Amino acid sequence: MIFSELYSAYYNAVSHILDAAVKENATEQSVREKVVESAFSESALTIISSLKNEKWQLLKKDFTTPLKHTPTMPLTNLQKQWLKAILSDPRIRLFDMSIPGLDDVEPLFTPDDYKLYDKYSNGDPFESEIYIKKFRLILNAIKTKRPIVIVFTSRNGRQNRLSLISERLEYSEKDDKFRLIAAGCRFGQFNLAKIESCDYCNVNKKLSPIPRSDEICTVSFELENERNALERAMLHFAHLEKQAERIDKNKYRITLKYYQSDETEILIRILSFGPFIKVTEPEAFVQLIKERLQSQKNCGLL
Amino acid sequence: MSSYSELIKNYEKIRAYMREFYVYGFKSRDEYDKKSSRSYDDERRRIESWLGNYMRFVRTPDGKNVFLSIDSRAEKHNPLYKSWKAKSFTDGDITLHFILFDILHTPGIKKTAGELMTEIDNNYLSAFEKPMMFDESTLRKKLKEYCNEGIIISEKQGKNVYYSRAESTDLSSAVDALDYFSEAAPCGVIGSFLLDKVENHDSPFSFKHHYITGTMDSDVLAMLFCAIHSKRKIFAVNIGKHNRAPQNIEVVPLKIYISVQNGRQNLIAFSLKSKHIYSYRLDYLSDIVIGEVYDKYDDLQKTFAQLEKHMWGVNCNFNTRKLEHVEFTVFVRDDEQYIVERLEREKRCGTVEKTDETHYRFYADVFDTSEVIPWIRTFICRITKLNFSDRLIEEQFKNDIRDMYALYGLDGGDEK
Repeated sequence: MIFSELYSAYYNAVSHILDAAVKENATEQSVREKVVESAFSESALTIISSLKNEKWQLLKKDFTTPLKHTPTMPLTNLQKQWLKAILSDPRIRLFDMSIPGLDDVEPLFTPDDYKLYDKYSNGDPFESEIYIKKFRLILNAIKTKRPIVIVFTSRNGRQNRLSLISERLEYSEKDDKFRLIAAGCRFGQFNLAKIESCDYCNVNKKLSPIPRSDEICTVSFELENERNALERAMLHFAHLEKQAERIDKNKYRITLKYYQSDETEILIRILSFGPFIKVTEPEAFVQLIKERLQSQKNCGLL
Repeated sequence: MSSYSELIKNYEKIRAYMREFYVYGFKSRDEYDKKSSRSYDDERRRIESWLGNYMRFVRTPDGKNVFLSIDSRAEKHNPLYKSWKAKSFTDGDITLHFILFDILHTPGIKKTAGELMTEIDNNYLSAFEKPMMFDESTLRKKLKEYCNEGIIISEKQGKNVYYSRAESTDLSSAVDALDYFSEAAPCGVIGSFLLDKVENHDSPFSFKHHYITGTMDSDVLAMLFCAIHSKRKIFAVNIGKHNRAPQNIEVVPLKIYISVQNGRQNLIAFSLKSKHIYSYRLDYLSDIVIGEVYDKYDDLQKTFAQLEKHMWGVNCNFNTRKLEHVEFTVFVRDDEQYIVERLEREKRCGTVEKTDETHYRFYADVFDTSEVIPWIRTFICRITKLNFSDRLIEEQFKNDIRDMYALYGLDGGDEK
């Protein structure tokens, strides 16, 4: 259903090549560049030789083509059905957009057809007019690189007003929240829902366009594959850069990379595997686990 | 012997390798397909060709391990989508494709298969030294295929069938939405296909806690959505949870359950053989065939809506008399309101109550206590009381905590 040459990298690359040929500016070099941009690392060999040897009779040896128009293809039913499906998602209102011609199309799915069953329940208010206005302004600021000024209340209850450069909007599926990743100010990220107001601004001081970097840390642990812990852990941590190695018949060493600001989250996620994961490095992380366990000992549960 | 190509005819062939390289990555060459080391070499080379930037190698005593290492937070678009853009085709397929849409370059142009054939031969293929030869049946087959895809429209006028291209769709105002939903909506790879049709640009979005493991199951997911939407049963092959043997199943799909905390996707479906509602992992399903409409579909959905109220994860049981009670209490200091917020936002079908100034109690009646255990463990350091109706699981939970103390040299039981 989805796996079709109509969507393939090769068709896309050839489409770009023929576009250049129709405009009479295709050369061997530009053809090679278009393959690199649109297809895979070994594609140039196949695509260029197939065109040059006239196996695919679309481009002549002098890089001209009998085609007369820029190659285009209408949307397939599947593409239209998917577009119709996202139009029924409440988050679509965040975007100022319209897609004509989908009235008679059945959506591929609706929000009733699936459930994100472990998503947190306090997600952002995607249908609030105030939230939508903020989202659209920040989205435009990212694309136009215009500085903005935001007002928000910090954890200690103080209202802050900051000028910054919007880098990108980061969405967490688990939290169901957007965060603004910013540069040019002392904070690196802001929960969009907690920004009380925002507007474009003209700043006198020069804002550094370099975003604050979040230190990348490493944690290593040994995993005992009991109660399917291996599969659960590998899926659970699949979104992180990681390396796994078998060190014994039923024992594995796994190393994860994570951002320093997420340390507490990683800590409790490791704890969720109980005695099947033993953190071995770094010592500071081992201490964090021990502190939690020591506090648990003081709770009188056992 | 056929020569190697980085394109493939059947995605199923690569699906398991992609998963092994991305999710696990600790197997050596010998552990993959013992029957065919050539197959392993070809699939590894293909994946390296598509995703070379993410391919890592490590040498171990068992041999060289190959794996994919991706920090999905650092990527604006899911790199695994590339695998869905590697479908093979014939020389004739690609040649006909571009010529057809060049002839039918606007929706107003309508031609019969014969007229198209003449134009293909005279105005396009004749420009080459050794023109390809297409017969009209090949062209008709391609036109029929494209009519089914919705990109070509056929129209009968008298005895003749005329073909034209479908209307184009303007995506210019939808680029931001495509950048977002291609990562945040089910079957996002279709959004990626749409993004291939717009100008190159830098996406304004990135994604945290972004699980891309389900990418390899996109086709299965799309088929299941079609079945759910048309209230039809399906036939499929399912890998058994315990014996790992492929089994033919006949089920009525009801809903897709997706985890945003581990990326697993499950189909909740009514088994026509056992007459029970079960969950099936999408990565274990293949060879989906959509069958006929199931006439009691709406009744099944009503039954499932009742079961959903007691599902913590994906396990459900048709017999609601088998509900299990799960209850635990945590200690929360005055300055730890974020713990109460955590309990509230993560409680799912459970209830949270304040029992005194410093304690909060969570309780729920669920089908499967073991599904709640990992979440309860995240509160280790403040759990003061447990009360599970399944005493064996409660004791196991406590023993696990004892084992954790021992693991980190903190033996000796609780100190209170």
